[in-house]
Amino acid sequence: MNPNVIKLHNLRFRWPGQAEDILHIPDMQIHQGEHLFIQGSSGSGKTTLLNIISGINCPNAGTVQVLDTALANLSTIQRDQFRVDHLGVIFQQFNLLPYLSLLENVQLPCWFSHKRKAQAGDEAALRLLDELQIPKHLVNKPVNALSVGQQQRVAVARALIGRPEIIIADEPTSALDTNNRNRFLELLFSEANQQGSTLVFVSHDPHIAQKFSRVIELSDINHAGETII
Amino acid sequence: MKLLKLAAKSAWNRKISLSLAMFSIAISILLLLGVDKIRKEAKNSFINTISQTDLIVGARSGPVNLLLYSVFHIGNATNNISYASYQKIAAKKRVKWTVPISLGDSHRGFRVMGTSRDYFRYYRYANARTLQFQHGKPFVDVYDAVIGYEVARALNYSLNDNIIISHGIVSSKFAEHDDKPFRIVGILKKTGTPVDRTIQVSLQGIEAIHIDWQSGTRSGLKISAEQARKMGLEPKAITAFMLGLENKIDTFRLQRKINEYRAEPLLAIIPGATLATLWQTIGNFEKVLLVVSALVLMAGLIGLLTTLLTTLNERRREMAVLRAVGAHAYHVMLLFVLEATFVVAGGCVLGVALLYLIQSVIQPLVADLYGIHISLCLLDGEQLLVLGAAVLLGILFSLIPGLIAYKRSLQDGLMVKI
Repeated sequence: MNPNVIKLHNLRFRWPGQAEDILHIPDMQIHQGEHLFIQGSSGSGKTTLLNIISGINCPNAGTVQVLDTALANLSTIQRDQFRVDHLGVIFQQFNLLPYLSLLENVQLPCWFSHKRKAQAGDEAALRLLDELQIPKHLVNKPVNALSVGQQQRVAVARALIGRPEIIIADEPTSALDTNNRNRFLELLFSEANQQGSTLVFVSHDPHIAQKFSRVIELSDINHAGETII
Repeated sequence: MKLLKLAAKSAWNRKISLSLAMFSIAISILLLLGVDKIRKEAKNSFINTISQTDLIVGARSGPVNLLLYSVFHIGNATNNISYASYQKIAAKKRVKWTVPISLGDSHRGFRVMGTSRDYFRYYRYANARTLQFQHGKPFVDVYDAVIGYEVARALNYSLNDNIIISHGIVSSKFAEHDDKPFRIVGILKKTGTPVDRTIQVSLQGIEAIHIDWQSGTRSGLKISAEQARKMGLEPKAITAFMLGLENKIDTFRLQRKINEYRAEPLLAIIPGATLATLWQTIGNFEKVLLVVSALVLMAGLIGLLTTLLTTLNERRREMAVLRAVGAHAYHVMLLFVLEATFVVAGGCVLGVALLYLIQSVIQPLVADLYGIHISLCLLDGEQLLVLGAAVLLGILFSLIPGLIAYKRSLQDGLMVKI
């Protein structure tokens, strides 16, 4: 059996000033190399969960272990470094910085992480862009010359560069049409498989769930808001 | 280094609003340094007008008034002093030299000053410099005149030209000493003082042109220039006189003695002290200007702050992306600080460049029009301090949007709702 890359135990989280927890996850494990789909409706705490896994927010109680590192043991600055060293992140949209070229956008994690830079090597950005079917002539163009579909694929290249162990995606397909969405997922899966990255994908969209190796309904594992009998 | 590149590229992306902010800072820096420069130049040329004169003596009025009319030729004497008193004080044994001054006439808008040849020997300006001749030599004859640099240039006079002196300070066709023309025997070099705009003649010359005048008008009696020359041209009164002592220690004692002089009411002033008093009065105005320009700089910096604050929302997405790729929250704050530093430092450089540009353009003009030489020197410590303070203030101001962005990026994380 594959080792666990992410382990949550007795996790509780509430936003400051709120009376109730938004997350209460007694136990959750994500295995290495798996493509996990976390489904949940809007406001169910999907993004909050990703914020916790990526070390931006800290839980009020419980432990978060990512790659055998307890995030609680790290300082905020160490968590920031840990995030760029081991995680690639893809947002819903507007992933790219408009003032950087396409290539610089892809290389951005290497600017903040020696580890990613060393693992990427020199040609990684171009190779990834090529594999993600971004036309060569766009490479040095400003990012707003790209279609939304192309922008999301560039975001995948940025998440993958330097082979981080975990890819986190927050509704990356919600702005794409069906064709683009399927193509996006295929490429994402094949690249993640190729470098052995674990994929954690959250979305409210049940139609794409069947493409993943494992599907979790957030409301099934999240006990927050349930009345204690 | 990467952060610097990011900050530069991000700032370049918003170059229009930022360059406007930079330009307004450049203008305020230009204003601040320019006012400071003018203030220092003005003070210099003011303080440099007279030096090494221990006392100026005139009829009793106010010290500033005496200084203004005797040295700066601004305004008029309230009264004259008798030549006898002048001679009596000049003969005192501690007095090394005296230079009489007799004012009241003019030539085409330039003051005519009656004096003695000692003027060219003892008058000092700008740290002990003596008057130098560009052409010619001091006056010898009764009808000789020595003109200042500015007079020669403005009226295009050269040696041996004849000039007619007008009675009074406003030249009028009806009150000209046209029967007794003066010959230019000397032209002085530029001094940057009122001397440049003055025509110097001997006391005897002043006496000669007034010999057939009574209370401001021509008397019926006509005395020709040659006849006058033969008459006793001993002046009866002068306007004021400058005085140098053998030993400066005696200054206050002699000043008191002159102020208590019994024969007529006299006033003796120490030029340096009165200059300082006068400058304090004018200097307040300069300070107000300086305060106004400092406020303009503040306005420029607040403009920058406004620009930074308005970008906060549109940059929220940018900050989330940077946080996702490993930027710390303090990196986010640094981006704002770096950006403000670019803008203010750029504004300073631009402002200084504009200052030098304007100076080099107006330098010949100001020299021509006012005889003030603006030196194109390096920035002094005070001005560098102003620039440093501007950058520091800019950084301090940028901490406001920086801290807001810092706090937000801690809360927002990867989740940005716009």
